[in-house]
Amino acid sequence: MHLPRRCQAGSQFLCGPLTLRGCHWFLLARPGPAERRWPRGIMSLVAEAFVTQIAAAEPWPENAALYQQLKEEQILLSDNASSLAVQAFLQMCNLPVQVVCRANAEYMSPSGKVPFIRVGNQVVSELGPIVQFVKAKGHSLSDGLNEVQKAEMKAYMELVNNMLLTAELYLQWCDDTTVEEITHPRYGSPYPWPLNRILAYQKQWEVRRKMKAIGWAGKSLEQVLEDVDQCCQALSQRLGTQPYFFNKQPTELDALVFGHLFTILTTQLTSDELSEKVKNYSNLVAFCRRIEQHYFEDHDKDSSASAASRSSKSYLPS
Amino acid sequence: MGTVHARSLEPLPVSGSDFGALGDEPELIEVEPEAKQEVLENKDVVVQHIHFDGLGRTKDDIIMYEIGDLFKAKNLIDVMRKSHEAREKLLRLGIFRQVEVLIDTCQGDDALPNGLDVTFEVTELRRLTGSYNTMVGNNEGSMVLGLKLPNLFGRAEKVTFQFSYGTKETSYGLSFFKPQPGNFERNFSLNLYKVTGQFPWSSLRETDRGVSTEFNFPIWKTNHTLKWEGVWRELGSLARTASFSVREESGHSLKSSLSHTMVIDSRNSSILPRRGALLKINQELAGYSGGDVAFLKEDFELQLNKQLLWDSVLSTTLWGGMLVPMGDKPSSIADRFYLGGPTSVRGFSMYSIGPQSEGDYLGGEAYWAGGLHLYTPLPFRPGRGGFGDLFRTHFFLNAGNLCNLNYGEGPKAHLRKLAEFIRWSYGAGIVLRLGNIARLELNYCIPMGVQSGDRICDGVQFGAGIRFL
Repeated sequence: MHLPRRCQAGSQFLCGPLTLRGCHWFLLARPGPAERRWPRGIMSLVAEAFVTQIAAAEPWPENAALYQQLKEEQILLSDNASSLAVQAFLQMCNLPVQVVCRANAEYMSPSGKVPFIRVGNQVVSELGPIVQFVKAKGHSLSDGLNEVQKAEMKAYMELVNNMLLTAELYLQWCDDTTVEEITHPRYGSPYPWPLNRILAYQKQWEVRRKMKAIGWAGKSLEQVLEDVDQCCQALSQRLGTQPYFFNKQPTELDALVFGHLFTILTTQLTSDELSEKVKNYSNLVAFCRRIEQHYFEDHDKDSSASAASRSSKSYLPS
Repeated sequence: MGTVHARSLEPLPVSGSDFGALGDEPELIEVEPEAKQEVLENKDVVVQHIHFDGLGRTKDDIIMYEIGDLFKAKNLIDVMRKSHEAREKLLRLGIFRQVEVLIDTCQGDDALPNGLDVTFEVTELRRLTGSYNTMVGNNEGSMVLGLKLPNLFGRAEKVTFQFSYGTKETSYGLSFFKPQPGNFERNFSLNLYKVTGQFPWSSLRETDRGVSTEFNFPIWKTNHTLKWEGVWRELGSLARTASFSVREESGHSLKSSLSHTMVIDSRNSSILPRRGALLKINQELAGYSGGDVAFLKEDFELQLNKQLLWDSVLSTTLWGGMLVPMGDKPSSIADRFYLGGPTSVRGFSMYSIGPQSEGDYLGGEAYWAGGLHLYTPLPFRPGRGGFGDLFRTHFFLNAGNLCNLNYGEGPKAHLRKLAEFIRWSYGAGIVLRLGNIARLELNYCIPMGVQSGDRICDGVQFGAGIRFL
């Protein structure tokens, strides 16, 4: 499929219609090396305090950049979903950001996870802290919500992170066919032999250990797909016939759901089962298309590089 | 000189006319020493047998090489000297704890009248030895635990395992060493290691896991080393506040490089030499045997020492180096050169000269550094003949520069860049020599030519290390 691609330095947004032949993408999140010693809760509190204190001072600069892995050869499904979610969020807030692809983006990130943004002198990674950071600068999408709605939004975001993201990780790193055909070649592609094998195995071992810790190691692929289905059902029910989850205006929940669902729909894996589960819910598919058209293609029309960015490079299923 | 026993010549068979004088008058106990010495010196002897006591797992052929010379000795003094040399060579192999030499006249049926037997009584080292040391590196200290298996297969092979825990780095390594039998200077070693280092001047953390093989061989007066090294390097930021230029270098890389080093060393000591010179030239080519880092690196070190009046020594050193990245990737922070500190240009903070970004020093691709020192004994020479001899006062003048190469500008532009904005410093201090390995310095430095971005350490500066400018 024709993946959303960032091609030029100037153009920032996704392009291309939703079709179904795609690149093989897998992403993986892992705990960062430096902060691994601290429990997640404390780390995020400290990070939040640090970030909000410093962030409020300056306005959003023109040269803000978002870093992720190499799009064509390296990035994996889960990382791509996270990156897309952040890009969608920043688009919704109308904050310009340039996407920069680096092979070592995962190691550059302060928490070890992609994407991360560099705004002025500060570096913030992952959607949660980025939302806080942007809020400290005075932009927010969820200001209009009352307390109950905010709690609901947080709950659904947790659902997506616990179900969808974990299912993506499972599929990438615990399903043997996918691991062999897609994940290992992609993850190790920027590195020479034998480093590509070593890093891929190291990452796989880490993810499998994490899966064991949260109890997903014993699940079979069918059970995981069932979980995905349930998650999509819950999201579909909440969305209903509204344009966005909280009626008229998109929030960070919309960005997160869009990031994951769009990536699942547009990524070619060894089998189509995952995307089929999402396609069962037509309102979710329409939701994805709506956000894509509104926030990505619209801006593309203005950009002078749009013709070049639209050039389609189709990835044939191998 | 070791232990050399020479029994008297009295019980020799009285068949030669040479011994007639002594043998004829057995009751004359006192022999004039000069006469006896003369007899010994002029005596032609033949070494008939060489015995070895105490060999266990050591194979015969390597022993033969070390003592082969002994058979060529012509007179007694020669035998004594050559057996002393042989003893030194045997000890150098690192397989014996003790070597004692006994020179005796030959007994037995085939004994010649001037035949000698030399017996080496050796004690082999145990199969497994452990050690605990503390080590001083360049401004860091560490504790080293080691396990050694000497003389593993009988030909002076050695396997060492070392674990070192230090203020700046922890490391462990396994190494296998094998000399060529008969030619100890030619040897081969294979190392596996993992080293972790922290570099606060660049806010950088580096973990290297690698394997290297090395051949050493002497050619005439020079010593050469050929080495292949394959290293998996992992770089990371040391703190959350690391600058973005350092953050960009985080990640993994694989370096596979071939290097060659040539050393000519005629100094009398490596720490505080009094005379002699050192020239060391090193080149490294990476990237053509695998890996994803490609560069050509050259560096050299020159030191000249001359003794002046009144026990003072004048010493000059010159260091320089250049790193040329091949291919289109820029050079990595882990390969670049750094300058400054108590072991380099004194008066500046550790490695805090040159290109930097937000307080993190990034190193440079070309550098030069020079030093001029005058070492004198302590004023009024306290503790002379003993402890006081370990200390020296020194007056120094250091200078250096570090920059990046922007290619396409040509070599003249690079030389010009290295010649402008020279950092230099002068001062005086006290040097303490630690054994034959390290030295400590306490200096009062005045840095000059400081550029914006450099961090200085003017006033008193302390340094400990092995290699000083």
